[in-house]
Amino acid sequence: MAVVAKLIDVSTCIGCKACEAACQEWNDNGFRISGFTGDYQTHETLAHDFWNLIQFNEVERPDGHVAWNMAKYQCMHCVDAGCMKACPAPGAIFRHENGTVDFDHDKCIGCGYCITGCPFDIPKLSPVTQKVYKCTLCSDRTSVGLEPACVKACPTNCLTFGARSDLVQIANARAETLRADGHEHAGVYNPQGVGGTNVLYVLPDASNPVQYGLPADPHISWTVSLWKGPLKWVGNLAFAGTIVGALFHYLRFGPKEEEKEGGDE
Amino acid sequence: MSRSLARFSFAERAAHWMAAISFIYAALTGLSLWSTHLYWLAAVLGGGPTVRWGHPWGGIVFAVVLGFIFLNWAGQMRLDADDRKWLAESHKYAMNEEEGLPEPGRFNAGQKMLFWVQSACALLLFASGFVLWWPAQMPRTLLSAAVLIHPATAIVAIAGILVHVYMGLLVVPGALHGMVRGEVSRGWAAAHHPKWLRETSKR
Amino acid sequence: MTNGWTDVANADVVLVMGGNPAENHPVGFRFVMEAKKSRKAKLVCVDPRFNRTAAVSDKYVQIRSGSDIAFLGGLIHHALSTGSFHEDYVKLHTNAPFLVEDGFGFEDGYFTGWNAETKKYDKSSWQYVKGPDGFARTDPTLEHPRSVFQLLKTHYSRYTPEKVSEICGCTPEEFTQAAEIVCSTGRAGGAGTILYALGWTQHSHSVQLIHTAAMLQLLLGNVGMPGGGINAQRGHSNIQGATDMGAWNALPGYLKLPRANHTSLAAYDGAYSPKALRPNSLNYWSNTNKFMASLLKAYYRDAATADNELGYHYLPKAAETADHSWGRLFDTMYEGGMDGLISFGMNPVANGPNSKKMIGALGKLKWLIVAENFETETAAFWDAKGLAADYYPQALDPKDIQTEVFLLPAACFAEKDGAFVNSSRWLQWKHAALDPPGDARDDHEIIGRLFLELQRLYREEGGTAPEPLLAMAWPYGNQTKPSLEEVAKEINGQFVQGGKQVSGFGELAADGSTICGNWLYAGSWTEAGNQMARQGQDDPTGLGLFANYAWSWPANRRVLYNRASADAEGKPWDPQRAPIQWKDGRWIGDVPDYSAAAPPERNGSFIMLAEGVAKLFAPDFAEGPFPEHYEPAESPVDNALHPAVKSNPAAIYYGRDVDKIGTADEYPYVAITYRLTEHYHYWTKHVASSAGLQSNFFVEIPEALAEEKGIQTRDRVRVRSARGMAEGFALVTRRMRPLQVAGKTVYQVGLPIHWGFVGRVKGPLVNNLTPSVMDPNSGTPEYKGFLVSLEKV
Repeated sequence: MAVVAKLIDVSTCIGCKACEAACQEWNDNGFRISGFTGDYQTHETLAHDFWNLIQFNEVERPDGHVAWNMAKYQCMHCVDAGCMKACPAPGAIFRHENGTVDFDHDKCIGCGYCITGCPFDIPKLSPVTQKVYKCTLCSDRTSVGLEPACVKACPTNCLTFGARSDLVQIANARAETLRADGHEHAGVYNPQGVGGTNVLYVLPDASNPVQYGLPADPHISWTVSLWKGPLKWVGNLAFAGTIVGALFHYLRFGPKEEEKEGGDE
Repeated sequence: MSRSLARFSFAERAAHWMAAISFIYAALTGLSLWSTHLYWLAAVLGGGPTVRWGHPWGGIVFAVVLGFIFLNWAGQMRLDADDRKWLAESHKYAMNEEEGLPEPGRFNAGQKMLFWVQSACALLLFASGFVLWWPAQMPRTLLSAAVLIHPATAIVAIAGILVHVYMGLLVVPGALHGMVRGEVSRGWAAAHHPKWLRETSKR
Repeated sequence: MTNGWTDVANADVVLVMGGNPAENHPVGFRFVMEAKKSRKAKLVCVDPRFNRTAAVSDKYVQIRSGSDIAFLGGLIHHALSTGSFHEDYVKLHTNAPFLVEDGFGFEDGYFTGWNAETKKYDKSSWQYVKGPDGFARTDPTLEHPRSVFQLLKTHYSRYTPEKVSEICGCTPEEFTQAAEIVCSTGRAGGAGTILYALGWTQHSHSVQLIHTAAMLQLLLGNVGMPGGGINAQRGHSNIQGATDMGAWNALPGYLKLPRANHTSLAAYDGAYSPKALRPNSLNYWSNTNKFMASLLKAYYRDAATADNELGYHYLPKAAETADHSWGRLFDTMYEGGMDGLISFGMNPVANGPNSKKMIGALGKLKWLIVAENFETETAAFWDAKGLAADYYPQALDPKDIQTEVFLLPAACFAEKDGAFVNSSRWLQWKHAALDPPGDARDDHEIIGRLFLELQRLYREEGGTAPEPLLAMAWPYGNQTKPSLEEVAKEINGQFVQGGKQVSGFGELAADGSTICGNWLYAGSWTEAGNQMARQGQDDPTGLGLFANYAWSWPANRRVLYNRASADAEGKPWDPQRAPIQWKDGRWIGDVPDYSAAAPPERNGSFIMLAEGVAKLFAPDFAEGPFPEHYEPAESPVDNALHPAVKSNPAAIYYGRDVDKIGTADEYPYVAITYRLTEHYHYWTKHVASSAGLQSNFFVEIPEALAEEKGIQTRDRVRVRSARGMAEGFALVTRRMRPLQVAGKTVYQVGLPIHWGFVGRVKGPLVNNLTPSVMDPNSGTPEYKGFLVSLEKV
């Protein structure tokens, strides 16, 4: 099965939240009344019951004019997924054949290590079930040949779903068009720090992804890499070394004398 | 005069074994999440979610008991000149050639070092563990630091305890009895803590 | 819309002004994006607020609310002064060559004929020069000083970029940059569209505003062109249908109300059958008699006979000059002039201007029937004091209100069959998705039961003038709940003899031999079946006409005035974008405006107008034949064009105690109201998804003003007008910058509507603040551009 992806063409996103509504409906997450976020955004950030959020970023452009960047924000389905790397429960986070990163909530233990592992701050712990939730790229839809709910709902064709290799080409072509149209820094967001992502963005100004609410150079935290890499070997060696050392010590030197003369007065 | 000497009070022994049990529980549950190859431990200990729930509580019990022990023993654990000399030549102790080493008091310098190392580890484990307990509420920087500090410290602590257990069970016969029943023979004291024996006898 | 949503994809330039389609018409907006993506179309957004549409526009210009005519007048001036208008089109398809009487003029803010006492114009000087044949005289060269073209040029010569800047608050450079893009379509081979909505229709000069836009499009040669036109984005999924069917002061198919002086059917037909002003004018309204006869026949069937003038006298007649607009209705009610009101799917307390007046008006009724999905503010108006004490301290206590309120639970749109008419004029048949909950009933069942019961009471008990109700035909199989298929067939029209469906309005007759519920919909359900339910997706022209998908009024025509897309010989201005063309003795392509066999020179392209061509000079409107910039009723500045006449002199004011008008010294900021994408009107605050996606009422405040007032985002602020108050969260933004208007700094504040005192989420009714000042032509209130003050709570 080909690796699939979702393409978000930020230049055509109008922040209508159809994707949010479709995501909530399809995944049976319901709708919470939200507090005032200070702008048009539905919630401050993602939640265990809110997996797809349009971020509204009011920024100043280099020419001094204001820009209002709206960009959809959800699990990126990284090729090198930090959540998977950090997860201690075998099978709780797994990758479908089509490249989608998904959670098996029967196996999730709710430790939240994936939250630390994710450079995009996506997985969210439910205070009720004590399990972690995020966008599944509608694996229950894609597995039967449908597009994800958000893509289905998008009115401006800002979202496209398909084979990743095709979408990379479409994205590059669209960025090329935007560059020719005066957006000189237009480009594709497919951050290599996480080995690329299965959610791709076309950004009108790719020189500064932060203005769209995306990390400039996301990568799995070095502490996580160290923890899951070298430290594991250090630890294993330390434990094994201690045990083997004790064994050899006992064989070589044995126990000390239990008692000594001179204790009696 | 009795041949036995009171070595550890009931409170000291109770605290020690509470600490031991909670440490072992925290260590085993922790190890189950340390590597997928040890995840079977989680199954043995009640399953993943139980382990995730129980590990912090085990840690809390350990931290509280250790806090009690710390307050009780910190004064006795100061290293003096003799201890430093002892430490400098501790390889002799390891090779069971204690002649010429300064005579240990109630605790030898190795035990004192274990005390300080475990106390420091407990502090770090507690702080980083608390962060990891509430991943949804903690800032990312703290979480990133905690995921490294917690296991790194645990390695030191577990290795230290392995040595401690090995010493107590196998290397120093009679030590376990002292920690279980609270009393040791004068001969044992003379062999392992002569200075303590002298000081106790003076009183 | 003259064109349609799918057609927007054909545009080279999309001017969005007085609307925010990305926010309020996101599904239709895909065609704007399509134009941008596939044609590299330029999107120009002109709005008081940097909104969701502005965010994806190629050029955004911020203007002061209520200054749109000045901006559009500037565009007209730009087109004429730089020669970027489509001259051949203007000569052929508009009344630019018509000559105007010498008596007509414009001076110091008034056109000739102003009567300061009646506050109305005497339009007798607004006339074409007519020849002895009764036809208007023309100068095809457009050079005659009394030609419409020259008068137009002179009128708009005052709208220079500097003047536009002075009035609108944008810089002259910003204006000119936008003008160059918009006017780039003023040539053969270019097409630009204008999308607008309530940002244009809700002013005290709104009809003239839209006239200005139409004039601009005519000068640029964009009307009738694919990718062109003047396109109103309708708000409700079926508001176009409601308008077509004669929502309040018209009969179906835009037939005008019979008046008291139309004492016979012939008098009525005569009054509304204009005389052609040019020899080639098809003058389609000369068929009024056929449409009216068929409508009467639909109403009264067998009771409509030649002897009783087809039952014409059963129809109620309005007084000769009576105004039956919405505002007048509630004003009359406020004065105690009405006993009862049936409110279907409408929530006047929330959506009328000056909510306090609405609540006061309803309290004067004896009875009020509200048919709704939810208990609305209107149904709960009697408890306004209890539910929103802060806002209506003067409201009556429930015990002092004598109005008896009946709330009838009605089915919602997804629970009903029938047709929607969308902005594109497409009638689309739909099927109910689920059953109505509980006791909720379809609207037509409620109406059916009400009608039958009233008819029974009149029949059994008599009453004043029972005849109209008793004569009304009710020829439906299921009397209490007529099938919508039957009703749709009746609306399409049938031959009385044999009962066959008519195939179009060309078959309607004036002699009572046809029935037709709405002549515009004739052809929607023919002998070939329900045309509205068609799903054909073939598009042979590639222009997105989709002639076999649903059915478009009139006559399934997809681009109105499509004849204007071709030159005198019927050759398309742009062969790539030709909805129709004259080929081998026939018009081919879209359904043409007139007979497919009529040669190009026979008729003018604007068949509904007596002129036969489009009107740049339109002597129809209350405040003049040419649109002129007037300030809103409440404005912080003088009229920069003529200080003596500030606001629209013909605007409707009611002058009751609650109809207060504020001034800038007390209320210094310009307020605008608007809608958010998450909500639909005042309805969706009852709906979980909408309430969850946008829960809180907020006030958008420019950064500089917020600094001045010490306000920060998330603070609570209070907005007051001369009429009322609204309180909510502050949203401080750089997207609304202070404007320099005539040397003065003007701040605008933004107020989204949608909240009220009942629903899952609650907030103030923004219409507490709005003035009951109306456009004199449409009767639409000035919801945009009124004055408020702002304070931190």
